Amino acid sequence: MSIKFEKNTFQKRLKSMLTVDLKRMTVSPLFYIMLGISFVIPILILVMTSMMDGSVSINPQTGEETIIEGFKNVWQIIGTAGGDMTGMSMDMTSMCNINMMYFIIAVFVCIFVSDDFRSGYCKNLFTVRANKTDYIISKSVIGTITGASMIILFFIGAIIGGKIAGLPFTMENFTTMNLICCMISKIFLVSIFSSIFLLASVVAKEKLWLSLILSFGIGMLFFTMIPIITPINSTIINVILCVIGGTLFATGIGVGSYYILKKTNII
Amino acid sequence: MNAIEITNLTKNYGEKQALAGLNMTVPCGAIYGFIGENGSGKSTTEKIICGLIHPTSGQVKLFDKDYNDIDIRASVGVLIEAPGCFPNLSVWNNLIIQATNLSIENKEDAVRNVLKLVRMEGAASNKFKNCSLGMKQRIGIAMALLGNPKLLILDEPINGLDADGMRIMREILTDITKNNCTVLISSHILGELEKIATHYGIIRNGKMIVEMTAEELDKSCPTFIAFKTKDNKLTKEILLKKYSKVLEDEQKEYLRVYDTSTPEDIVLYLYKNNIIVSELLTDKIGLEEYYINLMQNKGGK
Repeated sequence: MSIKFEKNTFQKRLKSMLTVDLKRMTVSPLFYIMLGISFVIPILILVMTSMMDGSVSINPQTGEETIIEGFKNVWQIIGTAGGDMTGMSMDMTSMCNINMMYFIIAVFVCIFVSDDFRSGYCKNLFTVRANKTDYIISKSVIGTITGASMIILFFIGAIIGGKIAGLPFTMENFTTMNLICCMISKIFLVSIFSSIFLLASVVAKEKLWLSLILSFGIGMLFFTMIPIITPINSTIINVILCVIGGTLFATGIGVGSYYILKKTNII
Repeated sequence: MNAIEITNLTKNYGEKQALAGLNMTVPCGAIYGFIGENGSGKSTTEKIICGLIHPTSGQVKLFDKDYNDIDIRASVGVLIEAPGCFPNLSVWNNLIIQATNLSIENKEDAVRNVLKLVRMEGAASNKFKNCSLGMKQRIGIAMALLGNPKLLILDEPINGLDADGMRIMREILTDITKNNCTVLISSHILGELEKIATHYGIIRNGKMIVEMTAEELDKSCPTFIAFKTKDNKLTKEILLKKYSKVLEDEQKEYLRVYDTSTPEDIVLYLYKNNIIVSELLTDKIGLEEYYINLMQNKGGK
C-alpha cells in the first residue's frame, strides 16, 4: 500500500501559523484590553500628574515636605533628550512614560504563548508541526505587531492626554523629524523585547507566573537601555541601530527559543 | 507498509522507567486497540509518536520514515487526554484555528463536515468552556479528524461519551479506515474496543506483551457452554468428575464448561445425575476476559 503525503513547505507552514496567530489575536479580548490600556494610560498619567503638579507631599515619619512635579511638556512622556540623565532617574515623570509599555507587552506575549500550553492546544499544534521554526517566527511577529500597536496608541493617547491636561507641545532641543525617528526606533526596539518575552514563555511553557517573572527579570536588565538608544532627539542613526540591532538580537534570541522548544518536552 | 513501527523504545522520567524497550507494529489501515493498565506506558508512547515528548532511546517510524518527518507529521490527527481547545473561543473558532493550522483550503466546509460527522452542528457557536464533557470529547474527535489524517491517535476517546456517542464513534472510525486511515486507539472500555479493532497490542510495565490481529484473538479465546441450575455448587462438583475446567461466571449465576463437548452431552450427563438445566447458551470469552486472564497469568492484579 503506498500513501502519498502532501509537501508541507516552510512558506506554507509559516503562512498558516501566522494566520492562526493573527486570527487568535483578533478574536482575543486580551489584545483589545492591551490596546485600550495603552491608549488610556498616557491620558490618565498626563491628566493626573498635571492636577497634582506643585502639590506638597509630607512624609509622615520624617515630616519632610516634597513638592510633586508633574510633566512640564507633553513630549516628556515620550522621552528625554540624549545626554539628559533624567531619563534614567527614578522620579515619577521618568518612570511613567512610554518605556513602561515594554513591560505591558510582556504581559500580552506571556499570556498569548502560555495559552497554547495551558489549553492543551500545543498538542494539536506540535503534532502536525515537527519543525518549530515557524512557531517562533510567528509568535515574534505577533508580539512585535501588538507591541508596535501599543506604542503607537500610547503616542496618540499622549497627544490627547496633553490636550486635556493643557500641557504645552513645544519642542525644545529636537525637531518633528527627531520625534518621528524616536518613535520608529521605539517600535523596532519592540522586536528585541518581544523575543526576550517569547524566550521566557517558551522556557516556562504553561506556567504563566514563571514566564512573567522571567520576562520582567530579564526585561529589567534591558530596560535602562531604552532611553539611551531611543532619546527624543533620535536621528536616522538611532533608527538604523534599532533596526539592525533589533533584527540581529531578535534572531539570536529566536534561535535560542527554537532550540529550547525543540529539545524539551512540550507537555 | 506499516503506519507505525517502534523498536526498542525507552523513556525514563528521572528514576522511573515509563517505557522499557517497547516494540510495536501498526499496519496501514488498521484500527489498533492499544490496551494496558493505568501507568503502563500507553499515553507516553502516544505522546512520543506525536513528538510531544522525547524518547530516551529507541526508534519510531511513521510510514517507513522518521517520526519527525515534517510532511508525515502534518497528516497525523490526535486526541490525547483532554481536547486541546481554547476555552474562551467558540467551538467553530477553535476548529477554524486548527483547520488554518493544517493549511486546509476550504476551512469552513471542512469544519462543517467534521461537525456534522460528530453530530455537533448545533453547538458550533457555543463557547468551548460551556460544553459538556461528552461534547468536548466529540469536539476533540472533530479536531483530530480535520484535514483527513492518514494516522489518527486517540487516547481514551470513548470516555465521557453516552451510548449514542459511542455508536457514532464506532461508525466514524469504521468509515475513516475505508479511506486508508490508520487508527491507534487506547481505551479501558474493552467491550467497545472489541467491536471495532482489527489489531491489538497489550502493554505492561512499558513493554509489549502481546500483539495480535482480531482473528488471532478470536482463535485464542476459548468457547464455553454456560448454563443455570438450581444448585450450581452441586452441579459443579458433578461436572468436575467428567470435565476438567468448570468455572462460575463473575455474577456466580452461570456455570461455564470449557470443553469441546456439545451442549446436548452436558445436559444429558446432568440429567442422568438428576440435575435439570434451566438455561443454556454457548459463547466465547471476549477481549476483556482474555485481557484479565492474560494479566493474571503474567502476575498482575
